[in-house]
Amino acid sequence: MMDRSYKELLKMRRFPHTWCPGCGIGSVLKNVAMVMKELGWNDKNTVAVSGIGCSGRMSSYMNLDAVHTPHGRALTAAETIKAVRSDLNVVVLSGDGDLGSIGGNHLLHTSRRNPDITVFCNDNEIYGLTGGQAGPTTPQGTKTITSPRGEPYLPLRLGRILTQQAPYFYARTTVYHLNHFKTCIREALLWKGFSFVDIISDCIELNGRRLGFKTAHQMFKWFDERFHIVEGVRDHLQEDELGIAKREVEEVSRPKEEAKAKVEVAVAAEQLKPFTLDELQTFDGTEGKPIYVAYKGKVYDLSKSPLFQGEKRMRCHIAGKDLTKDIDVAPHGDDLIFKFPLVGRLK
Amino acid sequence: MKQLISGNDAIFEGAFRAGATYFAGYPISPTSEILQRAALRSEEDSKFRFLQAEDEIAAAIATISASLAGAKAFTATSGPGFSLMQEALGWGHVVEAPCVFVNSMRVGPSTGMPTQPAQSDLLQIKAGSAGDYYPIAFYPHSVEECFRLTVTAFNAAEESLSPVILLADAFLSHLYELVDLEKIKTEIVPRSKGPLGKGQRLFTGTAHDKIGNVKTSDPVIYREWLGELKDRHFRVAEKYPLFEYLPSKDSNILLIAFGITSRIISALKERFSIFRPIRIYPVLEKELKEVTQSYPRIIVIEGSDAQYASWVEWAIGRKVMKVPCLGGGFKLKWIQSQIEDRLRGEGR
Repeated sequence: MMDRSYKELLKMRRFPHTWCPGCGIGSVLKNVAMVMKELGWNDKNTVAVSGIGCSGRMSSYMNLDAVHTPHGRALTAAETIKAVRSDLNVVVLSGDGDLGSIGGNHLLHTSRRNPDITVFCNDNEIYGLTGGQAGPTTPQGTKTITSPRGEPYLPLRLGRILTQQAPYFYARTTVYHLNHFKTCIREALLWKGFSFVDIISDCIELNGRRLGFKTAHQMFKWFDERFHIVEGVRDHLQEDELGIAKREVEEVSRPKEEAKAKVEVAVAAEQLKPFTLDELQTFDGTEGKPIYVAYKGKVYDLSKSPLFQGEKRMRCHIAGKDLTKDIDVAPHGDDLIFKFPLVGRLK
Repeated sequence: MKQLISGNDAIFEGAFRAGATYFAGYPISPTSEILQRAALRSEEDSKFRFLQAEDEIAAAIATISASLAGAKAFTATSGPGFSLMQEALGWGHVVEAPCVFVNSMRVGPSTGMPTQPAQSDLLQIKAGSAGDYYPIAFYPHSVEECFRLTVTAFNAAEESLSPVILLADAFLSHLYELVDLEKIKTEIVPRSKGPLGKGQRLFTGTAHDKIGNVKTSDPVIYREWLGELKDRHFRVAEKYPLFEYLPSKDSNILLIAFGITSRIISALKERFSIFRPIRIYPVLEKELKEVTQSYPRIIVIEGSDAQYASWVEWAIGRKVMKVPCLGGGFKLKWIQSQIEDRLRGEGR
């Protein structure tokens, strides 16, 4: 006998529900409730949040305190509830249009701030409630009522976006691969931090029939052809892979080699060519001559400096002069001048 | 102890006095200081939570959600940000989330003149979001009043179970005055709504019946619900019939002004009678009728193109003269000359 105690988490008095026969949302709702029941999550310790759309109706069928936000704002609401009430488990149940399109900015920023919430995205690649318009995840070339010649743009790749953050938890699964689906739900609920489950789901009435499928089952078989499960934990998932990509901490990037401190090159004064101030003045960069300047009794060749660029003057410094006083009051240090070759000394 | 503080500081301290434990905001002139103070307070006080959101949409949604989760919450913004918050404002009325939205007005539309004061968001507080709703809005005119009215706004929010709007303007936000906050006595209404995690309620922006079942095609339930909302808001608003009336013996001319313009024209109180509404919405209908009875001539001076004047005309049922101070041009001399023009029958 199957354990049906998960029904305590569903508002069975409100059934039959509003979704079409064959829709994947029922499966999402049921399996999330089953895993939550196994983990002991209930109306005393859990809040469900959802946005707008067919999938947004999920929270209203949960026997929990549920928050049904305006379109796209489920993540912000969930994050805030977790911030104010850290003792509650917060679950977001919403769709791809709500989370990826109108709530796209919140997806970027909430995942960046990494609150301990779990997001279940019913990704049916279509706007179902409004009649089957192309959504952000609709594959390129798919015919919908707002893309009658086929969707012209590439879809939003939620996996690629979310796995660029650190830390992250991104799982892709389908409503067809049931065992894998439940594993993903369990792992996501137990993950400490922002976890996102991208559930590839079917919308037979408003998407599948237009694609040529006759039943929801045919769509499930199509999912089976399109995707395959990969074992173990990955860093990233390819577009045809189902699995879990996660990382707890940011990959430590190698520290940059510290720039060597530029100091004055120690050269015996006798080895350097002596210049008088008058001689120095002739080397001002005009007529192809090099640019020499003096600093603390030494002469440097600044011809390669990008800031002089053949001009006699670079902002406040003049070529062919003793710049000792200039450098002392300049906003930069003397390391800038030590970068250049030492060519002589002042007499 | 007297302190030299700004209107923004007073608003933040008022919210803190009222028991606010959550602030969400997005930087915008002229209320960024409230955001900064909230950030500092969250460092000092672990009970105070703060979010610098990615935009005003998120800030407003976070404010409402924090309120549902059980915190007294508020947010602060200016005209353009307030436009983005309209969605959440409507949602807050439907899910009955008590919280406070501070809108310090600057010259609009759009980015407008970010550092210049205006009073042109009055219609936006009432009609910015979709559908019918009845927000309560207060408008102080001094730093001390900013403090007092913030507390009042939180109390009215708890009583009306809805977002309450505290208006200010760019001038008032950055006006510094000596105030002794400790000596100001306030009454604070405690939290009445149960926090999340206490049952099986549904907080939805969709039309719903009393137990939270979504009802999207039942006019009877909708009318009942909206009627209750309206009753509740007007009942709470009646508890706060805030206004200031300075009659002048020799004058049969009444000036109506609020916020910073009332502050400026207070120099004319010997020559004219002055009426200053503090509760901006719902409009002080009864009070306006009573006060304006004995005045044949009424001039409304405000920082918008006759937004409040139209409400006054609606409330008292006759025409008034208007002095719109547009583009942040709040100069006493100019206002005086405009008043003289109106009295001679010139201008609009």
